[in-house]
Amino acid sequence: MSAPFEEAVLRAVLEPALGEGLLEVGTATGTAYADIAPHRWHDAVGAARDGLGLAWFDWLAGVDELEEGLRVVVSLLAPDGAHRGHGVLLRTLADRSAPQVPSLVDLFAGAAWHEREAHEMFGIDFAGHPGLRPLLLPDGFDGHPLRKDFVLASRVARPWPGEHEPSGRSRRRNLPPGVPEPGTWGAGEAGS
Amino acid sequence: MSSSMYDARPAGADDPFEQTPLGDAADEGASEGRVFTVSGSDWDVVGSSDPDSHIGEERIVVNMGPQHPSTHGVLRLILEMEGETVTETRLGIGYLHTGIEKNAEYRNWTQGVTFVTRMDYLAPFFNEAAYVLGVERLLGISDQIPERANVIRVMLMELNRVSSHLVCLATGGMELGALTVMTIGFRERELILDIFEAVTGLRMNHAYFRPGGVAQDLPSGATELIRRNVDLVRSRLHEYEDLCNENYIFKKRTVGVGYLDLTGCMALGITGPILRATGLPHDLRKSQPYCGYETYDFDVATWDTSDAYGRFRIRLEEMKQSLRIVDQCLERLAPGPVMVEDKKIAWPAQLALGGDGLGNSLDHIRHIMGESMEALIHHFKLVTEGFRVPPGQVYTAIESPRGELGCHLVSDGGTRPYRVHFRDPSFTNLQSAPAMTEGGQVADVIAAVASIDPVMGGVDR
Repeated sequence: MSAPFEEAVLRAVLEPALGEGLLEVGTATGTAYADIAPHRWHDAVGAARDGLGLAWFDWLAGVDELEEGLRVVVSLLAPDGAHRGHGVLLRTLADRSAPQVPSLVDLFAGAAWHEREAHEMFGIDFAGHPGLRPLLLPDGFDGHPLRKDFVLASRVARPWPGEHEPSGRSRRRNLPPGVPEPGTWGAGEAGS
Repeated sequence: MSSSMYDARPAGADDPFEQTPLGDAADEGASEGRVFTVSGSDWDVVGSSDPDSHIGEERIVVNMGPQHPSTHGVLRLILEMEGETVTETRLGIGYLHTGIEKNAEYRNWTQGVTFVTRMDYLAPFFNEAAYVLGVERLLGISDQIPERANVIRVMLMELNRVSSHLVCLATGGMELGALTVMTIGFRERELILDIFEAVTGLRMNHAYFRPGGVAQDLPSGATELIRRNVDLVRSRLHEYEDLCNENYIFKKRTVGVGYLDLTGCMALGITGPILRATGLPHDLRKSQPYCGYETYDFDVATWDTSDAYGRFRIRLEEMKQSLRIVDQCLERLAPGPVMVEDKKIAWPAQLALGGDGLGNSLDHIRHIMGESMEALIHHFKLVTEGFRVPPGQVYTAIESPRGELGCHLVSDGGTRPYRVHFRDPSFTNLQSAPAMTEGGQVADVIAAVASIDPVMGGVDR
């Protein structure tokens, strides 16, 4: 039975390689994670792959952390050794106004689709990616739908049948989840 | 896509769309390239019919799908070929993108199950399990899940593994021309869907697992039905082996086809039968057990050929192992609760089907309507608003029929998920299609994609 990665192991490898670029090491609900400065992102993943035996690409995704920025999370696994089958999460925060982090495709070919998905869903620019085209969204789709400020326009445009005030006395219509107050988004009387 | 392709506009010299890809060729035949009406002979013969042309050496692009019956769903394959050899494979996905990850951010934690069960529609219980295990870990109640709920979860997941593998073999067989494998595959799958229907009320999209347990206890007579159908399925599994294992045509189509070795799997993040076909016995049920898998007795199937045939054999063996686990589950099913004790999390989980077709728990209704005002308020708050989940993030992974199905959850402390990301094995595994198919022939592309077994609902989410 193999053991999960511990913070000390992670720190011992990443700290010499990154120095100031390693912001934090911790454990969240059983999985060790390391926060990396965005400009050292590529080095950190390379160091984890070569120094920790995390040669197995698992997944990559984005999280919109609002004013903190856009978080990129990558999960790597160890295919053998003492931690066989266990992994760590490496995370970085990209600046929201111009989110850019280095691409990992040259380290792990499997990151290609994950980065394309994060690119179209969050608008994160993965510098050095060989073909950062939309992957899942239709051609010509405007916006980055998994960002928190992206409003589901069809919900605003269509009246919501399931949400009405049973008494009929309410002064304003209940809005479906995810639809902003009228007048704060879109043109004119969007919600009515 | 440019809308001007559909516009009826006069041809003008300044119109960029008048330029065909082949330049300013005047006649229509040239702009489309040469058209061949082929009625079944080798490309060498067709290409050499006109001695002046070099068409036999030209590069052709074949567009397969998304509505092609052998692309395993709405998958589009764009193949660049020289003669009959595929030189480049590109994949077009996204036709089933439904925005589940975004939608889940607008519903409470319990309602999220209803969304995620629709992703990989051949393995709905696995989607639900990955999600609810994540929510339970964020809540810190993983060790409070009642034993009976865990046994039911394991049992349904293993039955689901069998039904999912049956579809893989059935459609995969059909794509290779083995139609009998398709008919018997769907016949056996029906027996398992009967179990799902009896237990959850639905054949797919069950939304049966909930954070804290399962939505319903097993109905009366369920164990007898499961035992009967499992025995029937087990007694028929040898038919697949008899039809395919040593079948000359089947082996010609699959042995050595879709080769991907361990190094390729690591770089691309491949899991599941594709990985185990390289000989690595990686199975999350063994390496990171969940739902009590460490207490069940089963073997991890591996093969050492790294090809489509090995993946087929692994799936056959996994079905047998899954039925073994189901047997152990049936022995362990002891009466008990199927939902956590904590009333702040547990939705009413003992519903009886009323005459109106709606599920109601008479005891629960009597309690909230007749006995306790606080219970009524609590019920109302729990169901409309939902429970709060402590802030944090978690990644839980389980072994789905296609590989590692993981769920990355982020909570901001509210009643709704802040972020739900699914690492779907179909999405990751499908990336290996170019590596498996380039350099082979078109027919091998079909066999290779079938051996990946992508489910487009999971790929696109």
